[in-house]
This record gives sequence, structure tokens and C-alpha cells, in this order.
Amino acid sequence: MSVDPQDVARVASLAHISLSADEVEHLTGELNRILEHVDGLRGLELAELSDLTPQIRTPLPSTRSAEREERDRLTVTLESFAPDVRDGFFVVPPPPGLEQEDSK
Amino acid sequence: MSASQIAECVRDGETPLGPARSALVAISEAESGPEALNAFVSLNPESALTGASSGLLAGVPVAIKDNLATTDLPTTCGSKILDGHVFPFEATVVRRLREAGGVIVGKTNLDEFAMGSSTENSAFGPTLNPHDRDRVPGGSSGGSAAAVAAGYTPIALGSDTGGSVRQPASFCGVVGIKPTYGRVSRYGLVAFASSLDQVGTFGRTVRDASLALEVISGHDPRDSTSVQREVPDFSGAGERGVAGLRIGVPDEYLPAALDPGVRRLINEALERLVDRGAVVSRVSLPHTNYAIPTYYVLAPAEASSNLARYDGARFGVRGEGRDIGDMYRATRDAFGKEVKRRIMLGTYVLSAGYYDEYYGTAQRARGLIAQDFEAVFKDVDVLFTPTAPTPAFNLGENTDDPVAMYLSDVFTVTANLAGIPGMSVPIGELGGLPVGGQFLAPWWEEQTMIAAAGALEASFAEEST
Repeated sequence: MSVDPQDVARVASLAHISLSADEVEHLTGELNRILEHVDGLRGLELAELSDLTPQIRTPLPSTRSAEREERDRLTVTLESFAPDVRDGFFVVPPPPGLEQEDSK
Repeated sequence: MSASQIAECVRDGETPLGPARSALVAISEAESGPEALNAFVSLNPESALTGASSGLLAGVPVAIKDNLATTDLPTTCGSKILDGHVFPFEATVVRRLREAGGVIVGKTNLDEFAMGSSTENSAFGPTLNPHDRDRVPGGSSGGSAAAVAAGYTPIALGSDTGGSVRQPASFCGVVGIKPTYGRVSRYGLVAFASSLDQVGTFGRTVRDASLALEVISGHDPRDSTSVQREVPDFSGAGERGVAGLRIGVPDEYLPAALDPGVRRLINEALERLVDRGAVVSRVSLPHTNYAIPTYYVLAPAEASSNLARYDGARFGVRGEGRDIGDMYRATRDAFGKEVKRRIMLGTYVLSAGYYDEYYGTAQRARGLIAQDFEAVFKDVDVLFTPTAPTPAFNLGENTDDPVAMYLSDVFTVTANLAGIPGMSVPIGELGGLPVGGQFLAPWWEEQTMIAAAGALEASFAEEST
């Protein structure tokens, strides 16, 4: 697999990097040298293998200590700390001049 | 004096800031003179030094790689894009050093965003090798390695994504440790390639580098990859000895093209280990040759994602532009050549149509490399290899050939791909330049490789007395 100057210009645009015409030309050569080296991976028999990183495939030993970990505030119910909740929304005092709607 | 000796003196009553003040004077003098190494990007003023009279590192002067967040000094990552940027929080490893009594004297130079193997890619100029100022100190933690080798500080922190602690340790003749992925918190380490990055330590001795590792290790709830495990006695592990230790020497790490001097030093080091009771055998890690291509797909892919945040909108410098796209591009013009090259490569391998061809393939190859280690560690306790194929190369020698530069990491990237620990320890010199040997150990077995490195160090020390 190799890249041409149009590919390099497109990738630069995706990466928000501005390149002069000379830089595009130079990078095209450099990237092709690197990709030529990377193409060495093609010789491997990989079809049966997972594409997850080893750390993810084999879960690391307990990364959290249950007794030391604080409960995530987002996992508690709104009712447990809000003065008033209706249909999942916080109930706030009405603007001046309006009356509080019935709670149900 | 070693870090352990300084800490002992301070605990016995010496002024906690005395050693750091002396270090600052020595650094300031040396780094403003003709023999300057450009090892530091910034130094703490004497009035800002803080230390403690108790703790494992009481009063020990420490240098910190400039990609670890500090609140008292800027964290530039060696890049114009973060020039002068001060983080509002501190890296966990820096906090732990301070809590152990360590005194942060300054931030060390590095390849921009830790991308490089020579510390020539810094926006603040290259760092020079203390053993030969025409040569590189290795990279990307070249400033930290040079600072320890020059005697500025007894210990320093670096980061190791593909060998960035071990290779400069080898080039500068000091000890460098990369722990198991998850052993040390990465909170406050500016991300380069998150599945590979680890904070590591430098010391002039095995004991000092291990002591620093012991201080910074341990679970941190702020880093979801940090693991809940007890921290072993790393600082004492170097004295365990190697009697009965099974050491494997992988054939793939001693290729026919290896520098003959490096091969000779590796064989001599193995003889020393055998003399002390180790059992050496040849082993094979058959997918080693795929490590560099795998690494140079995965690391740039992760880097291109991690560095997308430097857009001028949130932090760091901001370029001028007519619209937001112009502003992004003008801001990102501050990136150096190597960083741009890796962002381009990473963006390409992740782009539509090429993702599976490159990224998926490299991820699968990474699995094979990890399996090689799993298999070999059933038969041996630790592996021994050269840290780098050659001693330190000349400044400018590889700057125009990215592939040649990348190949200097050929023996170190495998540990990052598999997540295992590794360390470099001096094993001799070639033409006045230091050479390092690398120990690799199974996951969470840092103490085994530290024991082997300690035995080797003791063997050299006995010879010189």
C-alpha cells in the first residue's frame, strides 16, 4: 500500500495540519517508506486473532477496591437528594406572577 | 551521594532542602557554561523548593520529565504548542514523590510529546550526551537520563511508550525502569499512546531507580488503568541474588547484524550472572520482527487521537485564523516535524478504508507478540537482551531517516506492546560510550528483574574494588 500527494493532502485536511506543496511532496516519500516497512505485517496469519489489546482481552486483576471506592454520584436517584422531582425533572419555584402547578 | 544516602542523612537531621539547593547551584553553573547539556527545560527557583525531613526520599533532589504535570512549573512536553503552560493539577507520581520527601528541582527536556529516540525533536533544542557531547542521549526521556548521568540529581522520572526510559538509560550509562502497564498511575502524564504509556524511573544505581519506583507505584483511583495490587519491596529486591534464577536469552534479540561489541558485552554479562548462580538458556520470541511495524501503526494512531485536543480552543497557544478551521490549522502549525509526521501516519491508518488494513492488523499482531512472552515465561523467570542495537549515535545521524530512527527501539517496543516490565542496566562501554543490557520480566514481576540487575551491578562493583 502506498500514498500519493493527493492522499497526503486529504489526510492533512482531516488532521487539521497545513502543509506546503514541498512538505506534501516530502511527507509522501517519508510515509511511503514507513508504510513499506509496516507492510511486513502482511506475512502474518492473523484471521483467527482478536483485534483487542492484550490488556483488554485478558482483564487486569481487580482494578478497583470496592471498599475504598466512593459511589458514583450519577448512580443515585434524583429523589434521594433533590427537594422535589417530577417525571425525572427537578421542580423549581415558579417565576414571579405564576402559580405553582399541582404536583400531580 | 545516592538517593538512599541523601534520604538517610536528611532523616538523621541534615537540612531537608540542603541537597536540592546544592544541586540547583551545580545545575545552574553547568547548564550556563560551555559544557551545557540542555538537560532541563525549566528549574525551580530556590525559594520555591519544598521538601520534608521524613520519608523514603527525604530531601532527595528529583528531576521530572516535562510531560508530567506540575503546578509550580510549566509543563511544555518539549513543544511550542504548550510553551509556558502551567497545569492546574499535579501528576499523581509527582505528588507521591513530594509526599515521600523528594524535592523537585526542575523539568527535563524530551522529544516533543515523547515522540522520538534522541531528544533532538524538542522545541527547546537537543539534549547532549554527558559521555560525548557530539552524541545523542537517547530519547524520548533524554533530559532525565542526562541529568542523572551528569550527577545533577540521583533520580529522575521519565515516561516509556516504546523504550523512552530504557534506551536513554542505555545511552547515558544509568539504570532505567519501565514498570508493568497499570503498576504506576498515568494521571497527569500527558498522553501520547495511552495503551502503551507508562511512567518510569532513572537512577545511577539499581537501588535508587527501584526506590523511586517503589515510591510512585500503587493504585490511583484517578487512572482507570491503574491496578489494585500491593507494592512489593522494590528497593530491597536488588540484593536478593540470582541463585537458581532461570534467565532466557531470545535468539531474535541477538541478530547476525548486531554490533559485535554489544554482543560481546551481553555475553560477558551473562557469564557474570552464571557465576552468581543463574541458569541461562536460549529461547525464541518468534514474532519479534513484527514489533516495530506493529508499534509504528498503533502508537501514531493513538497519538493522532490524543493530540487532536491541541486545537487552540481549550489550552496552550492559539493561532490566528479567519474562521475556526483556519485557527485550528494555524495553532497546529506549532507542532514540530516528527509530531506532524506521526499525526499524519496515525490519521491515515485510522481513516475510512484503511482502518482494518493497518490498525486491525497491528492489533492482532500485538496479540501474537504478547503470546510469545506468555509462552516463554513458562520456562524462564526473566529475559536478558541488549537494550539498543548500538551505543549512542551522533547528533543528526538519523534525523532524516525516520525508519532508521525507529529501528533504534527494536529491542524495547515489545515490552510496551505486551505490557510487561523491563529495565536497562549498564553492562560496559564501547569506545567510551555506555552500553545497557535489558531485563524483561513477566507481568507484575518487577522484583525478579530488579534482583537480576542488582546481581549484575554487584558483580561490576566487586571488580572495580
